[in-house]
Amino acid sequence: MRFGSVDFKEVWFGDFEFAASAGDRPQPVCLVAHELSTGRSVRLFQEQFRHLKEPPYSIASDSLFVAYYASAELGCHLALGWALPANVIDLYVEFRGLTNGSETPAGAGLLGALIYFGHDVMEGIEKEKMRQLALRGGEYTDTERQALLAYCESDVMALRKLINQMLPALNIHHALLRGRFMKAVAHMEHTGVPIDAESFVLLKENWDHIQDQLIRRVDADYGVFEGRTFKSDQFARWLLENNIPWPQLQSGRLALDDDTFREMEHVHPKIRPLRQLRVSLSQMRLADLAVGPDRRNRTLLSPFRARTGRNQPSNTAFIFGPAVWLRCLIQPMFMMGIGYADWCQREFGIAAALSGDEAMQAAYLSGDPYLAFAKQAGAAPPDATKASHSQIREQFKACALAVQYGMEAESLARRIGQPVWQARQLLRLHHETYEKFWKWSDAAVDYAMLNGRLHTVFGWVIRVGAQTNPRMLRNFPMQANGSEMLRLACCLATERGIRVCAPIHDALLIESPLERLELEVARTQEAMAEASRAVLDGFELRTEAKLFRYPERFADERGAAMWNTVWQIIEEIRGRAACA
Amino acid sequence: MKDTGIKNLGSENSSQQHNHNEDQQYAQNEDRDRTGVAAQPDLFDLTRLRLSQDFAAEIGVKKALLTVPVHRPDRQWFVRVHPDPEFRLEAAVLEMKDDRETYLVDPVLLPEPPGEVIPKVLFTAINRQGVVFLWPVHLPNTDGRHDEWNRSALEAAEMAIGCWIRVASNISLGAYEVFEASADLPDPKWPDVSFKKLLEIAFRDRLIRSLDHAVIKKLQGAL
Repeated sequence: MRFGSVDFKEVWFGDFEFAASAGDRPQPVCLVAHELSTGRSVRLFQEQFRHLKEPPYSIASDSLFVAYYASAELGCHLALGWALPANVIDLYVEFRGLTNGSETPAGAGLLGALIYFGHDVMEGIEKEKMRQLALRGGEYTDTERQALLAYCESDVMALRKLINQMLPALNIHHALLRGRFMKAVAHMEHTGVPIDAESFVLLKENWDHIQDQLIRRVDADYGVFEGRTFKSDQFARWLLENNIPWPQLQSGRLALDDDTFREMEHVHPKIRPLRQLRVSLSQMRLADLAVGPDRRNRTLLSPFRARTGRNQPSNTAFIFGPAVWLRCLIQPMFMMGIGYADWCQREFGIAAALSGDEAMQAAYLSGDPYLAFAKQAGAAPPDATKASHSQIREQFKACALAVQYGMEAESLARRIGQPVWQARQLLRLHHETYEKFWKWSDAAVDYAMLNGRLHTVFGWVIRVGAQTNPRMLRNFPMQANGSEMLRLACCLATERGIRVCAPIHDALLIESPLERLELEVARTQEAMAEASRAVLDGFELRTEAKLFRYPERFADERGAAMWNTVWQIIEEIRGRAACA
Repeated sequence: MKDTGIKNLGSENSSQQHNHNEDQQYAQNEDRDRTGVAAQPDLFDLTRLRLSQDFAAEIGVKKALLTVPVHRPDRQWFVRVHPDPEFRLEAAVLEMKDDRETYLVDPVLLPEPPGEVIPKVLFTAINRQGVVFLWPVHLPNTDGRHDEWNRSALEAAEMAIGCWIRVASNISLGAYEVFEASADLPDPKWPDVSFKKLLEIAFRDRLIRSLDHAVIKKLQGAL
């Protein structure tokens, strides 16, 4: 069977139905697989395949496995102890890619894809009923078994219909690379993030009390809460007393969205505890944090959900989603350690490499691109250091980051706490210093507007629609190629047997037995370096890593103060419980 | 497929063509490398999967030069002057101060209109933002005299041939001050346009070739 320029001996479409509770690994219930050229089908219920050592279909290097949201099927493979197929194409990922930036009237699920291509589909309610039946787990009646197998088979046959229509628009090689990442996703979801479950339970059970205590302690420095209600007039008074200018809405009211708070805490760090408190009170639903019976946080990593191809896991179910301080719940298991490796100034490095701007590359290679930028622009002497010119460096850093996010002078001025003219001057210096980068960036937008699409090095495409924001297009090469880099690093690391717990934007969290921790982190960093070279045509990005050994817990300095406050409250609760 | 009116990806011909071409290219590369019948292509050869990010080369969009201002550099600008002597011109210009406009006067009209036309050298200059402009600087009088303003401006323009400078007037000094950029800045990229073309663009609507020109009439009080 020829797919594009690739021959496959067998092409299998596969689908599992499985039971899964929050944070747990899937428990496969039934399986249907169908081979494209011979029409051979496999329909099995759990007891018929649980004992198998390998799947009842070929997963060899001359075969192809096709699925919709393949990480789920591949997760079932891992739960059953089966090897993963050598070649995977995920039609969900390809449908997302083919419609990225365009309207999909019924979403990007299997039903959505079928509707998009004009097929009759099972009623959504019926599909949900079947899904819930599978998720229920336990014993099934004969009728339920037949219904589940028929449902599973209908999904498999839907894949046949979809591939016929999608194949002409697919680049098979890039699709296989994305399928390769879905295998890494299955590995990472299988591994999960180790959690201090005891503290998590304490937090969850006492969250109401903790919230009240947090307000009492944090608000003691602000006086802006009444009960659990944030009072904007009292906040305005606090701002006046502290001489902090604050952005306003057109209506004249204070802008109180989290983006504004985040922006302002950069300039006025004393805002930070208040922001964390607001985030904790408004966004954190501890009950939704998905922690399985094996004390691990697991949730769908939602690969390719963002337009840039980035993962977009649930903000409430994923440990890296809610308030930063909650990450202190991450704790390696006994005799284990965890490593958090991230790329240094990744977007700056990507921009430098892909634009071919030599000055920008030199700045990145200097090890401190922000200070180097200040020196190149003539704002700091050649012998300046981070210590001697910290303020200048901070301003040039804010400018370099602002450029990556398409920020304009007004926002940058707020970010650096300086007048708008000074922000304009900084942006002008960026244009002057990195002229080649700006030409490349302009060309990327021109290319997108002329061709109606823009692509990454490995073919993830954004389509230009009526609502496309040029600022997003300008940012796309950095963000989307960064996403390619992360995906490739995940592939390399998991394929080399590194236990990757989760990908986090520009970082990988891994775990390892203590005696191998340093080695495994070094291997992870090598995989990340290799991924950067592949994406950036030989240009290598630096990484740095933090190691945490049991019983140490994960630490993020941005959330340390809040965690300590929460921990004090927990200790008091424990103390009271002991006395009682 | 039923006609549902819903967009069919199969109709995205350009996208299909794009991917088809990439696949063909990959297949050709593979064929070239195959040394035996049974050789299995490496489906994950990343160097072959990589698409170019040189967007400029693919679209060939070039900036059109439509405006060439004629004025001295803004006091905030760092500027360079074109080193090629072919990119400067000693010319007769007429400056309408009220309108802040500079006109190029055909030398055959000289000495008309008396007292208004000034001999200046027009330097081709560029700022750090890539704005190309003509920088008019007074030439010495026929007796060789040159006031401090004009002398310092001419020296600044000559200095800007070799380095990035900023020029600011200093009333107390009665001359221009020149500030040289200390950073190691790259040389400017001059547009691929002849000086003649620059002049045409700069003086497209401001070329005086006869005494019937509206500006001359205005100066003579005839308008």
